[in-house]
Amino acid sequence: MAKIVVLGAGISGHVAASHLRRKLPKEHQVMVVSPNSNYQWIPSNIWVGIGRMKSKQILFPLAPLYKKKHIGFKQAKAVTFHPEGDVTENKPYVLVEGVVGDSKGKQEKVTYDYLINATGPKLNFEATEGLIPGTNSTYSVCTYTHADHAWEGLSALIADMKKGKKAKILIGTGHAKATCQGAAFEYILNVEQELRRHKVRDMAEVTWISNEYQLGDFGMDGMLLSYGDMTMKSHEMVEMIFEDRDIKWILGAGVQKIENGIAHYENLDGEKKSETYDFAMLIPSFSGHGFKAFDKNNKDITDKLFKGFMIVDANYSPKPYEEWSVQDWPETYQNPSYKNIFAPGIAFAPPHSISKPRKSKNGTEIFPAPPRTGMPSGITAKLVADNIIDTIKSGKEQLHHKGSMGNMGAACIASAGFGMTSGSGVSITTYPIVPDYEKYPKTQGRQLGKTFGEIGLAGHWLKLALHYAFIYKAKMKPFWWLIPE
Amino acid sequence: MTQRISKYQRLKMMNPILQFFRFIYLSIKILIVVAGGHGGTRNIKSSTSSS
Ligand SMILES: Cc1cc2nc3c(=O)[nH]c(=O)nc-3n(C[C@H](O)[C@H](O)[C@H](O)COP(=O)(O)OP(=O)(O)OC[C@H]3O[C@@H](n4cnc5c(N)ncnc54)[C@H](O)[C@@H]3O)c2cc1C
Repeated sequence: MAKIVVLGAGISGHVAASHLRRKLPKEHQVMVVSPNSNYQWIPSNIWVGIGRMKSKQILFPLAPLYKKKHIGFKQAKAVTFHPEGDVTENKPYVLVEGVVGDSKGKQEKVTYDYLINATGPKLNFEATEGLIPGTNSTYSVCTYTHADHAWEGLSALIADMKKGKKAKILIGTGHAKATCQGAAFEYILNVEQELRRHKVRDMAEVTWISNEYQLGDFGMDGMLLSYGDMTMKSHEMVEMIFEDRDIKWILGAGVQKIENGIAHYENLDGEKKSETYDFAMLIPSFSGHGFKAFDKNNKDITDKLFKGFMIVDANYSPKPYEEWSVQDWPETYQNPSYKNIFAPGIAFAPPHSISKPRKSKNGTEIFPAPPRTGMPSGITAKLVADNIIDTIKSGKEQLHHKGSMGNMGAACIASAGFGMTSGSGVSITTYPIVPDYEKYPKTQGRQLGKTFGEIGLAGHWLKLALHYAFIYKAKMKPFWWLIPE
Repeated sequence: MTQRISKYQRLKMMNPILQFFRFIYLSIKILIVVAGGHGGTRNIKSSTSSS
């Protein structure tokens, strides 16, 4: 009998747990450890943040589902990793701490045969002084509670605008090395559309602020894409959309400090500037959770497991940008020191950024960290689960399932406004996610045709259809596994 | 100069009938990209899978 412990019940943890449970005989134990009692479909937080969806529409409680499906569930957070056990415990384990009820604050050893670390990112608000969601008129949409707060702030501002107040709205990234530009891009377009719906658009100045060198970089170094019968660069497409929506933009901006209504930033020219606002939604930097790891004798071995995020089968040797290669990116998400530990989704340490690294004249690094969106998070989680299943079934290590972000496509349907007849979406697909400049030297590392963009109402319907499909899948309703990651 | 979205393009973008067909087309196109599989990059021949 094998015991597989999954840390985290976000997109990757939940996908891994559900596939493991479906494919493994019942004598094997699958257990999920996660501090949040709910599963949330994070992409729809955008609509919670504009008041067009209630947070309860994007979440459901995990405990009843896991009970029904025979998946163990502990509402707790992982604290330390002990991949060799310790002097009293022979098996590898994770020390976890309860977060609710009687078990709150109580620590316990959760042993495992296989461990999937799917703890995603730490939303590192502390890295930017004053960036605290719900204070200083800044908000976030990274979780459903944050998105609820954001809507409270935005609706109050809309009410003031209806009374005649002129307002400045600032949306983008809140740190020089933040990622997830796509989420901020969706939010700014949705906010802009809501202002029009509430007939206060002329009262607001809407500004995009980002650490990207060019619009449409999205932490993926931008892309050359097919748009209708044209070939366009992603920055041209986003410029076209922003011009159309009368959205201003500030680029190459590393936000360093937030005061009530003022964002202080440094730009690539090394200038220290500030931008005032009445409402801001700024994505924080993402970091690892700061986990520590110990060997059998309690010696600190954190550097064998973590490099901020978890170390996997990537090539982490530092090298100049010109020498970066798509082969540096991981394929199996297995930790090289402890072969029974895996880290899919955002939890793995990327070998380097995808966007070209840039420094300001003062030496401050200002460029997006690499994104890992929902689709690759789901795909990498499933392949990790499949390798563990094959290993358990065959009795020897199997790593046939591989999925490098350099040989994987991604679809990103960015909402550009909510509404069955007035909504809009920017549908972008990219293949591969990490550009392969050797294979596609003339098209910026990507395959044209499979990398395309499209704007329109259909995008909104698609995003809405995905919302319902993925919640159906996450609830493990009949034939859920037929819906691809 | 930045490309602009023309009135005609906007009409097409928001026309529910045209967009219904775009919806079908996009769903299939995205499925092709997604279901096109994934694999490694270090030894492509032996590693391509669609797990
Ligand atoms: C606003 C927003 C919109 C987005 N929109 C899109 C989109 O349209 N399309 C798309 O593809 N992607 C989108 N993304 C990205 C997508 O949400 C992420 O790629 C995805 O959530 C990553 O999944 P994950 O499981 O790796 O991490 P997460 O979803 O962050 O899950 C991490 C899990 O780990 C748990 N956890 C945290 N700490 C611990 C601990 N110490 N111990 C145990 N468990 C722990 C958390 O509670 C959570 O359950 C969006 C992201 C945001 C923020």
